[in-house]
Amino acid sequence: MSSTEQGTSSAAPAEPTTAPESAAAPEVPESFYYVHGKDKVVHKVSAGALQHSALIHGMISNLGYTEEQAKANPFPFENIDGDILQMVVDWCNQHKGKPTPPEDTNLPKQKEKLFDLVLAVNYLEIKELLTYCCKQVAMMVKGKSPEEIREIWMIPTDAEDEAAEKEAKKRAGKEAAGETAAAAGDAK
Amino acid sequence: MKFLEKILSCWKFPIKHKLSRKSKSKPISRFPLLNLPRVVLLECIENLDVLEIIIFSLLSERTKSIAKLIPLNLLDIHITSEGDPQIWFKLPNLPGLDWVIDYNKQYESSVYPAFRSSLNGPKAVNFLILHDNGNVIDDVKQMVEHICEVFRSQISDIVIFDESFIEWIIKFQPTIGHVRIREDVISSVETMERILKSIKVTEFFGLEPLTIDKKFKTTEPILSRFIVIFSSFWVTLPSILNGTNSIIRLYDSKLTTKDISTILNEWQMGTKLRNLKYLEIEFVPIQVNTSYYEILEDLDWTDYDENDGRPRTVEIDDDWIITLPMEYSPLNLIRSDGMIGSIVDIGSKWFGEVRKTRISFVVWSKQS
Repeated sequence: MSSTEQGTSSAAPAEPTTAPESAAAPEVPESFYYVHGKDKVVHKVSAGALQHSALIHGMISNLGYTEEQAKANPFPFENIDGDILQMVVDWCNQHKGKPTPPEDTNLPKQKEKLFDLVLAVNYLEIKELLTYCCKQVAMMVKGKSPEEIREIWMIPTDAEDEAAEKEAKKRAGKEAAGETAAAAGDAK
Repeated sequence: MKFLEKILSCWKFPIKHKLSRKSKSKPISRFPLLNLPRVVLLECIENLDVLEIIIFSLLSERTKSIAKLIPLNLLDIHITSEGDPQIWFKLPNLPGLDWVIDYNKQYESSVYPAFRSSLNGPKAVNFLILHDNGNVIDDVKQMVEHICEVFRSQISDIVIFDESFIEWIIKFQPTIGHVRIREDVISSVETMERILKSIKVTEFFGLEPLTIDKKFKTTEPILSRFIVIFSSFWVTLPSILNGTNSIIRLYDSKLTTKDISTILNEWQMGTKLRNLKYLEIEFVPIQVNTSYYEILEDLDWTDYDENDGRPRTVEIDDDWIITLPMEYSPLNLIRSDGMIGSIVDIGSKWFGEVRKTRISFVVWSKQS
């Protein structure tokens, strides 16, 4: 579990509490990077843990930051809620350098949280975690009836889809008409 | 999605009832699946089993179009009515697992839909049980059309247990591997002609007893590899000789001893029935006592050899093997290419006041 600290991206992050290296393993200095979400809470994460994220791993490889530069420039993920980023960081730390098990029981049970987690994980390109999340999403409807599935997954009926489409067209038409009128006004 | 509404109509009451009870205590937690990025959404759907994907695809046109993107082809789709009307299929990566949509009405409507699994030796079957609400024939047709469209698959086998399936299959998929038509489904010569002209059955054509005008005859070949026809009075000698069938089983045939002799003679000359593996004809000879000699009199036959290695079975497919009678001492016909045709059985039995004769003929080679 990484520790976190409230503040801006320039705030000094707390030390991580990642699992200590095995005593028998040779001492290799580990590099750390810093990420923050919408809440600006900075998380210090080891490069090993971040390897799970293809997106961050690519950024690290391209930037070639020193420890100081990394500290001064945390990766901002403004589109990810702080608690969701925390979950992601926790997962990356827990699975650092380990083979990923076939199931993960630590994923959030609340469906709303899981939705945000799936979006974040997809954005950060964490393939194994995305796989777990997708399995969890599928499990939601195990043994459920069609109407229950519709309810749980918020699937509109054809009539609702048609109505939404009509509404969207109407709105787009109004916006286009508004823009035309504005352009005509500007021309005058 | 009109037909889904009908299918769902039987579920709505109990489901709404259940949901309304649930909603009083705890609001249902929801997940806006369709708002996920498309790639992620598809990965979620790929984690459903095939019955769940079918249910998902039935929810709306949008879910149907999403389900169609799943790279999943169904195999061996067959429609049957062994008890309940059922749709069976398999997945290519799970050959030991069958999936079944079963329509019945034996339970309270609140039980439907239900999921069940059963194990039978190394094979497992997963069932989705739907309510037969009195319109099951149309429900089956629409479900099959839906499944075939979503999974880009074809029906491989149909047991026609209702006459309306005939026009439906002609329109939906006129070329099909296996067709079996249940007893008395065909009630007119017109329907019979329609089947013979408009459905191309490639592998197996089975026709159970039927009651149509006894004057009806066909001289056209029946194209399937394997035919088994009860009430086969309408199948004539030219129909057999001009066919390319491998396995022919005719019951209540109007073929004569002379016709059967001609079939065997043509086979031996190599001019007809080059693909024949097994022939079984049940007929009513004019003279039972002389029928055997009438069949054999113009044939160039040889005596049997006890250890000749003739087959004891005829394999139709993986699940269907015909065991041949071995107590009879066969007569062999030898074709110029070395193939041997053995009359492995000929005998008569009384059926009521009619004495019927049955002849069985198997083709084999010493190399096989």
